[in-house]
Amino acid sequence: MIHYRKKATGVLRHCLLSTALIALCAPGAQAAPSEADLKPIEQQLNALGTRIQRLQDLNEVTIVQHAYGYFVDKAQWRSLADLWTQDGTLEIGGRGVFLGKARVFEYMNVGLGPIGPHDGLLIDHQQFQCLPTIDEDGLHASIRCIAFVMSSGGWGHNYYEDRFVKENGVWKFQKLHGPFNMYSGYKIGWLDNTVLNTYPEKFPPPPDLPPSVIYLTYPNYYIEPFDYPNPVTGKPMPPPSPRAGGEAFGR
Amino acid sequence: MTVLTRAARLASSLLLGLALCGSAFARSDDARLAELQARLRGLDAETSYVEAITQIQRLGRALGYYTDKGYFGEAADLFTEDATFQWGMDGVYKGKARIRELLTRHGGGGLKDGPGLPFGRLNLRMQMQPLVTVASDGQHAHARWREWDLLGVYKKSASWGDAIMEDDYVKESGVWKIAARRYYLNFVAPYEGGWAAMKPVTGNWQSPVVKDFPPDAQTPASYAPFPAVFVPPYHWVTDHTLRAIQSQPPIVAPKRPDDALGKLEALADAKELQLARQESVRAIENLQAMYGYYIDKGQWRKAASLFSTQGTYEFGQSGVYIGNAHIERGLSLMGPSGLEEGQLNNYVMAQQIIHVSDDNRTAKARWRSDVELSRGGKGRWGGGIYENEYVNDHGTWKLSKLHYYVTFWGDYDEGWAKKPFPMDPPSTTNPPDQPPTVVYESFPKLRIVPFHYNNPVSGKPLGADAP
Repeated sequence: MIHYRKKATGVLRHCLLSTALIALCAPGAQAAPSEADLKPIEQQLNALGTRIQRLQDLNEVTIVQHAYGYFVDKAQWRSLADLWTQDGTLEIGGRGVFLGKARVFEYMNVGLGPIGPHDGLLIDHQQFQCLPTIDEDGLHASIRCIAFVMSSGGWGHNYYEDRFVKENGVWKFQKLHGPFNMYSGYKIGWLDNTVLNTYPEKFPPPPDLPPSVIYLTYPNYYIEPFDYPNPVTGKPMPPPSPRAGGEAFGR
Repeated sequence: MTVLTRAARLASSLLLGLALCGSAFARSDDARLAELQARLRGLDAETSYVEAITQIQRLGRALGYYTDKGYFGEAADLFTEDATFQWGMDGVYKGKARIRELLTRHGGGGLKDGPGLPFGRLNLRMQMQPLVTVASDGQHAHARWREWDLLGVYKKSASWGDAIMEDDYVKESGVWKIAARRYYLNFVAPYEGGWAAMKPVTGNWQSPVVKDFPPDAQTPASYAPFPAVFVPPYHWVTDHTLRAIQSQPPIVAPKRPDDALGKLEALADAKELQLARQESVRAIENLQAMYGYYIDKGQWRKAASLFSTQGTYEFGQSGVYIGNAHIERGLSLMGPSGLEEGQLNNYVMAQQIIHVSDDNRTAKARWRSDVELSRGGKGRWGGGIYENEYVNDHGTWKLSKLHYYVTFWGDYDEGWAKKPFPMDPPSTTNPPDQPPTVVYESFPKLRIVPFHYNNPVSGKPLGADAP
């Protein structure tokens, strides 16, 4: 709707209009608006401010999640661990829970290999479909997101159900939880060559706490609970039916 | 007139008028108060507009998470009671109950069992690249989405799926819902051989679902899937006046009088700027999605028109093309205009990290592209990272710099680990205006693409982490 020429004539028109308006308004000093005039305006502005801040929070939380993905790609473990609060936690696949920023670094640097990138070792973790939700308090948030993994070994698809906290105006990972959906080699894909999950002893370092949920990935069924209700009905998520397997819906 | 109300526009041009006319006068407090109230109404409408895009993005993503795991009833609940769902050439299904059954039949769930999927069923449908256009009434909207699928029945089949969706949305009692989805299936390709091995369809190519579950109406217009090149109709007609890629023009906050009213005026200035920058994030998401949809179909001229007049385009090691006409030439290195039969040119736009400048005048963004290609029966995977720049041209966002860093190219059958390809050198037939700005090799070599931003949490500059 914005055209230069249109806009220029519009400005000219409004210029004339405002000059006329001002000519009308200028003479005669008036009393300053009272507090009763200004109070509702201030309240409206603050209410709008809260809504606008929520929009900004949604973007900022998503940026932390997306930044995480770019750091994993190139094994930038120091930059990655910096995304956590001091006592934030990490749990990926079936490896158990790691407590605190230092352990997040160790999980990556010992478990997945030293800081990279290393030629010939592709570990692209593409972050897709992020769905952030800000808590009522404006200081906590959740995200559901997908990592679509293209690595030297093949494919991966996992979810994230993460929690964030805003400390001194900055959103940080309080908890990263990455349940797996499907991991497979390249040659025949997920036809029947899938990895059922990782587990605490699979590779070092050992976790601080056991896995918060035990489950198997494709061809088995597991669904990580949603942090948000249905966006239209507002109803919480029902548990999956028994045919989806007893361990589904964990915890 | 856009969502920005006439009142707010009048108010802002009044300000502009004051500045331009240059008369030094004091306006009455009554006039200032009325103007501020008008601005608040405009700000409210603008906030609702950005919220609408955000909520519609949320709806589409929520739908994907439901169908992934067999929550077909919850997925159907995102639609209006009388919604329609057009599935490829299968036809159109009407109403929530029918949509639920349609999703269940395609996803592999049981119709009476409740949510979940049986053992051995894979139905991962990734929802990406939304381009959301909200109508001026604030009650209706459209969006284009891309879906990539990983589908499977354990030990029986593994497939890739690819589709474009065009949706209608409506706001009912304050809640956005999907009123219509047109699901343009492009292919479901067996993992073995992939999309490049697919043969043209002949005659009826409806899915097996139709036999037991006939549609309520036929798909209105016939099309053929890949390897034919079909462009699902866009919900927009022209680009540069499309509200979806617009935001407020660059903002310079005026100096406000040091009185009670002036403090509120200054607060309104700050909120307007904060909102404009968030609106710009959505506009840039829409712009990059639009670019991606044009690239998909070889619409080089349309894609090139999304750049500013002095914009630059650099792809891999092919050099830099400057200005719309040269950029169109640079893009055409990917293939003939409109592509050729059997050519696939899917560049997903995802994982955006967008930073808008403090004055809402420029922006930078990092994106990722996951690439599916095919030409002449040969399939390829690719991956790479964009570091782009944008400029706010009187309220319309344009690409001022697009730089795609190739991470890898790999043969479909062998995979990137076994059979990576190098990048193309600069073209001799359509040479670039400048050589590559950075010389590097793609996989198996790996390098860190420079970040336009500092660490979002620690604020530390990003380079390469010390070992």
